[in-house]
Amino acid sequence: MLLNRDDWYETSRDLDWSLSYVDQAEAFPTSWSGAEGVPAEAWQKWEEPFRVSYRDYVRIQREKEAGVKAVSNALGRAGLFEKLDPAHVAASHLHMGGTCMVEHMAVTMQSRFCRFAPTPKWRNLGVFGMLDETRHTQLDMRFSHELLKVDERFDWTQKAFHTNEWGILAVKNFFDDIMLNADCVEAALATSLTVEHGFTNVQFVALAADAMAAGDINWSNLLSSIQTDEARHAQQGFPTLEVLMEHDPARAQTALDVAFWRSTRLFQTLTGPAMDYYTPLDQRKMSFKEFMLEWIVNHHERILEDYGLKKPWYWDTFMHSLENGHHAMHLGTWFWRPTLFWKPNAGVSKDEREWLREKYPTWEDNWGVLWDEIIKNVNDDAIYDTLPDTLPALCNVTQLPLGSWGSRHDVAQFQKVYKGRLYSFDSDVSQWCFEQDPERYAGHESFVDRFIGGQIQPADLAGGLLYMGITPEVMGDDVYDYAWAKDYLPAQTA
Amino acid sequence: MAQFPITGRFVGDFAPLLVAVDTDDTMDQLAAKVAVLTLGKRLPLPASPTPFDVLLDGEVVPPTTTLADVMAEREVLPLQWFDVRFRESETADV
Repeated sequence: MLLNRDDWYETSRDLDWSLSYVDQAEAFPTSWSGAEGVPAEAWQKWEEPFRVSYRDYVRIQREKEAGVKAVSNALGRAGLFEKLDPAHVAASHLHMGGTCMVEHMAVTMQSRFCRFAPTPKWRNLGVFGMLDETRHTQLDMRFSHELLKVDERFDWTQKAFHTNEWGILAVKNFFDDIMLNADCVEAALATSLTVEHGFTNVQFVALAADAMAAGDINWSNLLSSIQTDEARHAQQGFPTLEVLMEHDPARAQTALDVAFWRSTRLFQTLTGPAMDYYTPLDQRKMSFKEFMLEWIVNHHERILEDYGLKKPWYWDTFMHSLENGHHAMHLGTWFWRPTLFWKPNAGVSKDEREWLREKYPTWEDNWGVLWDEIIKNVNDDAIYDTLPDTLPALCNVTQLPLGSWGSRHDVAQFQKVYKGRLYSFDSDVSQWCFEQDPERYAGHESFVDRFIGGQIQPADLAGGLLYMGITPEVMGDDVYDYAWAKDYLPAQTA
Repeated sequence: MAQFPITGRFVGDFAPLLVAVDTDDTMDQLAAKVAVLTLGKRLPLPASPTPFDVLLDGEVVPPTTTLADVMAEREVLPLQWFDVRFRESETADV
């Protein structure tokens, strides 16, 4: 007789053994488990918030896969991709290049949970997380592979993380830190709780809605399917937080505060420009700030407060950054567009500008002034003045331009000498992150450090592009060939 | 004389930049190297030539002082932050 799941589930999820040939500390070193300072018996309280067996998992995932594939096949035959707005397509280039290999890195993180997590219940769930992340990587690769024949930028889905493209270095640096270099407990707090439970909603729910509105049903469907997995395995973070709040709440607070700031800055780069500038105006659902307020401020942070955590000490800075940080990253990426593997949309035609003013009342004074000079140069046919002559100075924690958390009125010096080397930070918050664990960040060389250290030759834009792996076929340029700037030309008289 | 990398921010621009200067540069020369990367690109050029001030840790450095002079007085490491702004008495707010 086949047993019902309830008859064997408790045993299967909590199967452990007493080690006799090796010390527990050698088999589960705290440098990997993260269990230091937490009594072994405390992990008995770790309870997964959802029940899943391998049999159920395979059945459900098979149904999801069939759904994604059916949509993809039908749309591929209809040739819908070729009809999409090119500015929207840029958002999918950025997403695929910036996140596909993060999914692959997450396989390694989940496999660490499988092996080193301090309770067998968590190790059991790690198996499903690992299979989820393998699926996400393969979905992205399949989606992109099918589009290669019409758009070679999708080659960067696989290629990006094997290059030194500087935006990708920033993404990679963050996930190296919180996935590959983190113990299980920290990875659960920083990745499962902060990135997956909090911020992937921005990337996978908001962008999915925009993609659907833009007619990109295939990508929207893929994003939504991935999010169903993320929403499930992200919950591994909550029981871990519960245990840590009982035994080491200060560590939990610091780990989450660091991860929250770094996630904010990263998603201001990955998602903010796509939502507020690349998505065609009539297809936008919410502004990036509105989405962050609903999903991060109202939802995610409220849940964390329920566990006894305080808001991050830099909350006011974070709220101010929601008004500005992604506008800085957008202007920066557009101005340094030859260094991108996608074609950004400036997104500042008169109609788009009106929308930006409505959503962000300080936009004109903070950002419009800078765009006005760019628009003047475009319309004067002085495109060379809209292209970079040098690099922006970069933060040694986020790898993003200094000052880019706020507006041009907020830019301020945050530098610190550590062991004889001068480190620069985009904000006081990033400097605080560094100071929590200087050795963690101190050895890394930003793109600027590599440039002045002579690793990039010749030491000019051409050498920089060579070092980044940017080739002429994918090099970024304005996606509409500056047509939007004609809005600002004096009206022609008949 | 030697090339030296600084972090140069023209006040009013949104991002400080990597700027290659020379240790023999005066502050006026250093300011010009920073300003040319912002003015006419993201901020408008002034209507007529306008001198600049250079600030190090919030203090104005005399315009004829060279970077080497500053280095003789205090430690200046690669990527030290310098602010450049229009000279206060003669300028326009950006």
